[in-house]
Amino acid sequence: MFTSTVAGLAAGGAYALIGVCLVFTYRLVSVVNFTGAAIGAVGTFAMVMLREQGIPLPICILVGLTFGTVTATLLGAVMMKWFAGAPAQTKAAVTVALLVGMIALGLRITGGQHPRPFPDLVPGAAFTLAGVVITRAALVTISLAFIFTIAATRFLNHTRMGLQLRALSERPVTAELIGIPVRRLSIGVWAMAGLATTIALMIIAPQRAPNFLTFSMLVVPAFAAALIGGFRSFWFTLAGGIALGLLEGMAAGLSSLAQFRSAVPFLIILAVLMWSQRRARWDEAR
Amino acid sequence: MKRANLKSALTTILIACVATILINVTLTSYWVFLFTGAVVAAIALLGVGLVASRAGMISLCQMSFAAIGAWVVAWLNVKHAPGTLLLWILLGGLAAVPFGIAIGLPALRLRGINLAIVTLGFAAAFDVILLSYTFPGQTKFIFVQRPDLFSSDQAYFALCVAVFVILAIALNLLSQTPLGASWLALRHSERGTAAHGVSIPQSKLSAFALSAFISGLSGGLLAGQLGTLVAESFTLMVSMVYFVVTTMAGAHLAEGAIFGGILIIFFPEVLRRLGLPQDIGNIFFALGATQALSMGGTMAEDFRGLVRKFFKGKKIVASGFTDDVALATVVPPVVNANARPMLDIKNVTVRYGSVVALNDVSFTVPEGSVVGLIGPNGAGKSTLIDGVTGFLAAYEGSILLDGKKLDGLPAHLRARAGIRRTWQHTRIAPQLSVGEYLTLAAGRRLQTEESVALLTWMGCPGPLTTISQIDAGTRRLLDVAGVIAARPKIVLLDEPAAGLSHQESTQLAARIAQIPTRFGTSVLMVEHDMDLVRMVCNTIVVLDFGKVIAAGPTQKVLADPRVIKAYIGDPEGLVA
Repeated sequence: MFTSTVAGLAAGGAYALIGVCLVFTYRLVSVVNFTGAAIGAVGTFAMVMLREQGIPLPICILVGLTFGTVTATLLGAVMMKWFAGAPAQTKAAVTVALLVGMIALGLRITGGQHPRPFPDLVPGAAFTLAGVVITRAALVTISLAFIFTIAATRFLNHTRMGLQLRALSERPVTAELIGIPVRRLSIGVWAMAGLATTIALMIIAPQRAPNFLTFSMLVVPAFAAALIGGFRSFWFTLAGGIALGLLEGMAAGLSSLAQFRSAVPFLIILAVLMWSQRRARWDEAR
Repeated sequence: MKRANLKSALTTILIACVATILINVTLTSYWVFLFTGAVVAAIALLGVGLVASRAGMISLCQMSFAAIGAWVVAWLNVKHAPGTLLLWILLGGLAAVPFGIAIGLPALRLRGINLAIVTLGFAAAFDVILLSYTFPGQTKFIFVQRPDLFSSDQAYFALCVAVFVILAIALNLLSQTPLGASWLALRHSERGTAAHGVSIPQSKLSAFALSAFISGLSGGLLAGQLGTLVAESFTLMVSMVYFVVTTMAGAHLAEGAIFGGILIIFFPEVLRRLGLPQDIGNIFFALGATQALSMGGTMAEDFRGLVRKFFKGKKIVASGFTDDVALATVVPPVVNANARPMLDIKNVTVRYGSVVALNDVSFTVPEGSVVGLIGPNGAGKSTLIDGVTGFLAAYEGSILLDGKKLDGLPAHLRARAGIRRTWQHTRIAPQLSVGEYLTLAAGRRLQTEESVALLTWMGCPGPLTTISQIDAGTRRLLDVAGVIAARPKIVLLDEPAAGLSHQESTQLAARIAQIPTRFGTSVLMVEHDMDLVRMVCNTIVVLDFGKVIAAGPTQKVLADPRVIKAYIGDPEGLVA
């Protein structure tokens, strides 16, 4: 059981990384981004489809990362152009609509739910801890999640651009009036989040039923992680994502629970909401 | 049933009958089958539309509710349960409700997009569970039995249309009750809705539970149509597509739901005949929804707008006071010398961090009086109203209504206790009709004569007018009419005359002065228009920098040099 729990580490790292990206996007451009994981799926599939053509792996990875980043940038541009002043609810609805479009398009281009072989980017074991093998994939996703969390916290709290971005998310019009380049910064936020998500998906791709839909739906556990962080705290999101991966791994290891493994994020979401509704009050000036 | 409702219900039934007969007589069974699918989809869309287009929330698991309805029908069928398909479908719909409540309860007490996330999570988890459990009878090819009466495709089509018509009419009637009006209103402004005494979580939860019921019904009807079910009809992706189509078509209106249902069924059919892949339809829906969201309208709303324009011409309805009031004739109400305090504000202090917005404020509003609350911008007037009506997170001190403490009560309970307020910027949802707004504000269905009398008195247009057709000034008058319709113990009016012409504000003044005697409601009024204040107020309280600097009879206070200084500065050293 311990083994299977630890087997969830790689996924946990990926959930954490995508979750941190969701919080990053929410805090800086106030969009709850349902396309969060689908962006990464675009990059990952670009990589694997090039690989199938026999192109060297490093080039495929580079092109894949570019695809993910560009997709995110395009989405960011759409959100900025038409929905910059829209309420949060509308922006979220737009990302749901875009997600449906992306999944339909993605399934079409990648050949539906037919699985493809994904290259293991970081194969093998890193080290053995108390008789349990820690994979290098787990090590990489978790390290990346940590790095991104530290970078995001430092960026927001200790740089001038971070300060500008915080001003931007709270008062976009005022921010624009005092000369902050709102559009460029916002789209930059999207691009950063897109890049990080693509990396996370590329690494855990071989462990998943590899089709465009299941990849896009990795946004569900990532949302659960973001809710644990209250869509605010990067560190709690990080911890939540990793814990979620471990819990899923544990459920997979118990034969009686294995088939309900995918219900874990939903149960976590319910539990977090029940906990946080204790202090419901007027938080939105509507 | 009111005449207008009866007329619209009969029109709906007539159109449905004609369409059903036309389709059944002229088309082959294949097309009737497709149209049945479109109507079943339209019923599911009514459910999504109730949550998404009416109450403005994002729900992504409606097809999971439909699956629950279908599952129950298939199970009852396998078990040879008593009753027929009709009863089973109803039970299927009811079975989805507890699931809706269990998911909605934790999400809807919180504001924001939590419902979207929790429904997405539920649908994703439900997909996997449904795949592993399958529908009862699915593996043994046991078909869901239709009663003899509905065994033909044509008869089953008629049944589905009948269910759709009943739901559409019921939803239309429901939209005219306080609960139904609150759904549209809370999409526009949650605070504004809570100020009418509506519990926002209850209102949202009831919409969500009802939508689960409707989606459950559609699942049961689908079970009856197809006979055998597969999990693929109810996946998360299908739920998302339904949400997207609702957003595009506006399924809170019957014609939007029908249009959406036709799109969902026939668009792939057209693509198939053109030899194109059918999933292109979803890309089209996604683009359509994004476009609709950027324009802030839906196909059905645009369509209704066009029809209205065509028949009635586009016009903005302005206010129309029927009498002419001279300024000098308006006098404040007569107040009993021993009147008890209706509102008693005791030592209220409000801090935002280190800023003190209200500093130890105390005053009373005697029963039957009009009290003016004045002061320069930023003095804390609106903060005080927020505090009294329950829209501040916390304050020190105590507020009593008619001798009873209000402290700690949420906004909607204070409203129900007898405090109503208007807002500096009107928060009436533009999609409501004047009559629906009054119903919402009063918390009960008003008799037509009562609402017409009130509206005429306040210079507002008739109950059937849509708010979006009314000019901004008249909406302010409607604000006042709404709070009076509730017959509260006290109303708090936040700058009621802002945006009105001088003539209109004089006429408004005459009404406000009469509110205590006519309706038994005391008034606390924030206003910058000094003529209005002088005309209608028995007493005045002056706030400056969060402190009461003067209070007392109107003329005396307005002559106080400290008040003049607070308002226009102290250019000539008036204050020693």
